[in-house]
Amino acid sequence: MAAPILQVRDLRTQFATAGGIVKAVDGVSFDLYPGESLGIVGESGSGKSMTALSILRLVPDPGRIVHGQVLFHDQDLLQLTGEEIREIRGRDIAMIFQDPQSSLNPVLRTGFQVDEAMLAHGRPRSQARARTLELLKKVRIPAAESRYKDFPHQLSGGMRQRAMIAMGLSNAPSILIADEPTTALDVTVQAQILELLADLNRELGTAIVMITHNMGVVAGLCTRVLVMYAGEIVEQGPVEQIFENPQHPYTWSLLKSIPRVDALRHERLRSIEGLAPDLLQPPSGCRFHPRCPFRIERCYTDEPHLQDVAPGQKAACWVTMDRARSEMGADKLIDIRPGAASGVHPGELR
Amino acid sequence: MAATAAAVVVRPVTPVQASLWSDAWRRLRRNRLALAGAIYLLFLLGVALIAFVWTPYPMAGVAVAAPYSGPSSAHIFGADLLGRDVLSRVMVGAQISLTVGIGTQLIVLAVGVPVGLIAGYFGGWLDSIVSFLVNVFYGVPDLLVALLLVVLLGHPGLDKIIIAISVTRWMDMTRLVRGQTLALREREFIEAARASGARPIKILFGHVLPNALGPVIVQATFGVPAAILFEAFLSFLGLGVPPPQPSWGSMAADGLSAIRIAPHMVIAPSIALSLTLMAFNFLGDGLRDALDPRSRR
Repeated sequence: MAAPILQVRDLRTQFATAGGIVKAVDGVSFDLYPGESLGIVGESGSGKSMTALSILRLVPDPGRIVHGQVLFHDQDLLQLTGEEIREIRGRDIAMIFQDPQSSLNPVLRTGFQVDEAMLAHGRPRSQARARTLELLKKVRIPAAESRYKDFPHQLSGGMRQRAMIAMGLSNAPSILIADEPTTALDVTVQAQILELLADLNRELGTAIVMITHNMGVVAGLCTRVLVMYAGEIVEQGPVEQIFENPQHPYTWSLLKSIPRVDALRHERLRSIEGLAPDLLQPPSGCRFHPRCPFRIERCYTDEPHLQDVAPGQKAACWVTMDRARSEMGADKLIDIRPGAASGVHPGELR
Repeated sequence: MAATAAAVVVRPVTPVQASLWSDAWRRLRRNRLALAGAIYLLFLLGVALIAFVWTPYPMAGVAVAAPYSGPSSAHIFGADLLGRDVLSRVMVGAQISLTVGIGTQLIVLAVGVPVGLIAGYFGGWLDSIVSFLVNVFYGVPDLLVALLLVVLLGHPGLDKIIIAISVTRWMDMTRLVRGQTLALREREFIEAARASGARPIKILFGHVLPNALGPVIVQATFGVPAAILFEAFLSFLGLGVPPPQPSWGSMAADGLSAIRIAPHMVIAPSIALSLTLMAFNFLGDGLRDALDPRSRR
């Protein structure tokens, strides 16, 4: 495999709030390879969006990146001056956001806004317009010439997101970060946008970082996936492998909670017990242990780190699903309350 | 008949390319008072421009009529204590009032918009300083500041008056723009613009300001009559433009001593002043309704 174009190393982003320090991203490391499509999944508040915003140094106040490196072509983005990181944004690493309704400036014409993204990086206005029309066609906006002159409110949600993608691609970036780009769209439009992203990823070789809470989106678009929980990566690996054989109980539970066409008929959908942890006071040891059916004593005290569990696949778990299956009968488990399979409950510990 | 009917049916439906501004203009046109105000102001502007090249009598021409003489066919608004033609002086007074009103607002815009944008967007200690200054200037009586400045700046003249009034009026615009910026900077399209590598100056003037333009225009429109009234007031106190330059305020002050024998000397400039203030306020009200996206009708 080629050398990674983006290396994130032990990234830590924190928010100083009245109640204490919230560790939104807590020691995240991963590589992104040229032209690949990487999914980052997790619940709301798992730190996936903050990871993306930290890469471009767009963390909102009062958030601070307190530690780590983001190496892009061997230069640390976290060490650049404001002007240098501005040059990178949009030119080398572009980002599109969740809600296309509010990501476009309501008082400026759509095509003009795509132009602007290029003008910010020194392309002359005369060239920008021709390229905008070309891009609007590439993202399959019909009647691009007249849409160029339209205001955002005159476009449908799907078309607005296409315009945002056109804007993201305008400077031919090597990385496109998509922060839940389909969440605000209805299902058929979601599918079209994902297909468009997949095509662009293939045709242009733009690496895509897809941030989502939707496992289906990952399955449809990505080749590799990171699963985040409470500011940490708990499992990572090739998408097919993770879907076939998740090793972290959290990933396993996530996959159990969504309907699958190939599931056995009697299998029930399972929710994950409990709530996402309070990041002001994260649980001791493994952060998932208060919700984990397979927890053992060690999970309460020692924090697990990512370890190879299969070729290319890593998980941060003391038990792992292989053991949970063989020793705790995970496959036939009906009761998925915390500690149900392993029989470890806090009361007994004390 | 059939042909006509068919023609009616196939007439293409032109899509309404309604932008914010064309929408606002359509709503403004339907507001009669605002429209009347706008027409009156255009008329006043015409009068002020004509007065540069022609007035019925020279505005400083003494004894073109009998002193204190009332309205007549030769002197529609009568004459003042020196026998000068009041109509000619009201016409020149329009120049003064419009210059002060618009000049002040231009300075207020030039100061308030960038300062408000920067304070609101960057926040921190910059914002603290700006907010502190705004509060200090709100705290001191504006009349006192203006009087002090007029005296300190030396020679009375139109430019000094414009500066003095601007100093007492910049805070409204600054506070308005700052508030708008504070709200707008949290919007996602600003974040998207930052993510696309836009420069801060571009974000401020290209993305934030266009979204705040409606309230800014309304504020500026209401600021004009406030400045005109302030000038009239200063001139009434004898601290306005130097004689023989006529200001509506100083003309009313001149007439006050003779109000029993020559009321027209007070009435003529007062009516001109009142009509102008009213016209600006009607126009401002109309603009506020027209530019408010929530009042779409």
